[in-house]
Amino acid sequence: MATLKVEHIYKNFGGVKAIQDFSIEANPGQIHGIIGPNGAGKTTIFNVISGIYPADEGSVYLDGKDVTRMEQHRITLEGMGRTFQNIRLFKGLSVLDNVMCAFDPQSKYGVPGSLLPLGKRFAEEKRGRDICMNFLKMVGLEDYAKERPENMSYGHQRRLEIARALTCRPKVLLLDEPAAGLNPVEVGELTELIQRLSKDIGFVILLIEHRLELVMNISQFIHVQNFGKTIAVGTPAQVRSNPEVIEAYLGKEGG
Amino acid sequence: MQIVQYLINGIALGSVYALISTGFSVIFNVLKFSNFSHGALMTLSAFIGYFIAAANGWGLVPTILVAVVAGSLIALLGEFVAFRRILIRNTSPIYFFVSSITLGTLYEGLVVLKVGANFHNYPRFFGKPIKWAGIVISQSDLIILCISAVALIVLAFIIQKTRIGRALRSVSFDRDTASLMGINVTRTIQFAFIVSGALAGLAGVFLGINYTLYPSLGSLVVKGFIASVIGGLGSLPGAVIGAMLLGIVETGLISIVGSGYMPVFTFVIMLVFLLVRPRGIAGSNIQEKA
Amino acid sequence: MALYTHILTQILITVVSVAGVFVLTGMTGMFSLGQAAFMAIGAYTSGILVTKLSVPIFLAWPAGVILAVAVGFIVGLPTVRLRRDYISLVTLGFGEAITALLNRATALTGGASGLTGIPKETTLTIALLSAVVVIILITFFKASKYGRQCIAVRSDELAAKAMGINVPKVKMIAFLISVAVTAYGGCLYAFYTAYVDPTLFGWKKSAEWVIMVFFGGVNSLTGSILSTFVLSGLPEVLRFLQNYRAIIYAVLVLLVINFKPSGLLGEWELTPANLKRIIKRAGQAKQPKEVR
Repeated sequence: MATLKVEHIYKNFGGVKAIQDFSIEANPGQIHGIIGPNGAGKTTIFNVISGIYPADEGSVYLDGKDVTRMEQHRITLEGMGRTFQNIRLFKGLSVLDNVMCAFDPQSKYGVPGSLLPLGKRFAEEKRGRDICMNFLKMVGLEDYAKERPENMSYGHQRRLEIARALTCRPKVLLLDEPAAGLNPVEVGELTELIQRLSKDIGFVILLIEHRLELVMNISQFIHVQNFGKTIAVGTPAQVRSNPEVIEAYLGKEGG
Repeated sequence: MQIVQYLINGIALGSVYALISTGFSVIFNVLKFSNFSHGALMTLSAFIGYFIAAANGWGLVPTILVAVVAGSLIALLGEFVAFRRILIRNTSPIYFFVSSITLGTLYEGLVVLKVGANFHNYPRFFGKPIKWAGIVISQSDLIILCISAVALIVLAFIIQKTRIGRALRSVSFDRDTASLMGINVTRTIQFAFIVSGALAGLAGVFLGINYTLYPSLGSLVVKGFIASVIGGLGSLPGAVIGAMLLGIVETGLISIVGSGYMPVFTFVIMLVFLLVRPRGIAGSNIQEKA
Repeated sequence: MALYTHILTQILITVVSVAGVFVLTGMTGMFSLGQAAFMAIGAYTSGILVTKLSVPIFLAWPAGVILAVAVGFIVGLPTVRLRRDYISLVTLGFGEAITALLNRATALTGGASGLTGIPKETTLTIALLSAVVVIILITFFKASKYGRQCIAVRSDELAAKAMGINVPKVKMIAFLISVAVTAYGGCLYAFYTAYVDPTLFGWKKSAEWVIMVFFGGVNSLTGSILSTFVLSGLPEVLRFLQNYRAIIYAVLVLLVINFKPSGLLGEWELTPANLKRIIKRAGQAKQPKEVR
């Protein structure tokens, strides 16, 4: 079975049909791009898959396990990592501690060890720090470990969000507009980073992005959303030549 | 007949709770935080009504007017000193809690400074209870019920039918969008505080009539909070329904367990409600934005 | 001398309670307006056990803390899954309920006239030792995995969940730790003043503690403790201020919120590393003068 399998999910908010019949199947090493104009329900798809909202209908399977009705943090622990469109780092924690927060649910010591210097606490903290530093290194932020995220540039904050999501040990990584607000150089670096992660870790990446050149370059499959509906699915080349897509999305962008 | 008697007394009690819970909910709706200064504001304005009007021999209506005006003005001032900069800076909503708690201790501190720990009583505004077909209703209950009903209807009318009411609803829904649509958000929030303060003043006087005037009178605000939770946090109709229910249930329970243990029972009712139906009767679902 | 010992002991007992509130409010961003009621549970339970049932203190105090934690679990259970407003509203109702209970259950609690005859066992040494131990425990907690998760929950609940953090569990842990610490403060208090009555544990007490935490610095235990000393010491030293106590607190906090919202110390903590830095800076500041 596919690593991520989403079957016919629907989500309404009052009268707004944010998602109508969205499905996807993705296997390790694949990058799937989701594109579409603002308000097409792209982020809602992520929010339903990652468990922020329950789906009205349909199912989400992660490695064959039905996670549709699971609590959000359980889904994450099953192997779902994500970043946020409007960067949501933890204020009041250092860069390293932001990443450590994603390791903490996997850390194996309890409340007594939190209050006292007992047992596995130090070994576990060290293991966590090593893992987190490793992920920070992977995104190129190892020199900023002691900084405050709010003092970093936009590009670095986006990378930190990715490092934090990686620490969740995801089988599926959801990237919500990771290039928003970045300058061309940073976009280039980010593209390279996403491709490297996909190759090295070999997980599923779902990518929402407005910059078409980025999505088209690195995705094997593209889903085009408009008004909550999927209007086209296929390889970048297929999607590019789809008349409905050109009319609904690319045409508008180009014209 | 006994049942009818309980219902009438319960609704009379509930109508005061409804003033508290709606006054609290108006602010909750607009700014999405629990205004813990509401109780102390009730006390403060009730005392102002007492010292300016009632203690000088003025009647019920002038006392109410003074308290209502005082409540509105103090709430307006409170918004300026405690909440305005938090709003402008858009800092963490936890500051609203701190501000409102602080404001509450300030109001109560002012009352304590003036009266110490002493009790005061409003003069007797009312005559003998009315008896009819075996049912006894005190004049104070009747008048409180009528005035509360009028106040709530006026509130509903303002929110549903007027321009400022529409502004209030749109700011409650989404402050940023409302601002983009040309609504003066600051004015609207000020208006919400005026309304909330007026309701606090009215409720304060009624509580002072029902019980006595003492500095921690405002802790009765808990009843309004509980009513809001039962009704569904953030819903005005829910707040009224929750208040009426609470009033009726309390009136029934008091005859069984006595008034002393009442806070214990109302607390248990709230806890059970939260476990069984956390969204309240009106089913409002206030969530942090995704 | 006796007066200073008295003031210092009282402040140290308050430090214990405020340290508990720091975990809940400063670190996790939750507000309990019934925290003083948990202090009451600790004070009354231990007091009643010792005076009425002659239970030894070393059993009575833990019993007070354990009962408070058990009650705290029931109070917290429906609220940790909901918006933060609920825990404030529920604890406020809880505080009123406890006050009513203490006033009514006269046979056990002495009702409005209070519980008397508690042996005076808390000395300055015990208060100091307690405060130090509590501060050490909470310092460890703040640097632990749960401490980090508390701060993450305060900052952004939704993102915390998305990182796999079990938010209701973290909230419950923070709540129960703060309840346990506050209840222990209640034991200290009851066995210091030898007398407790229901009026001591109203919502204003809880509000005062929240104010102390915020005045000192939202994310700084050092700040919370410092402001406890300043805010509760000031009215003791300047007796004529006693009546204005509540008003002074309120005005100070409103000033801080308006002009320095992160509190006096913000996030700064007194750690060995920070201490060294201060000493170093002080040394550097002196040197140029000496050269001249």
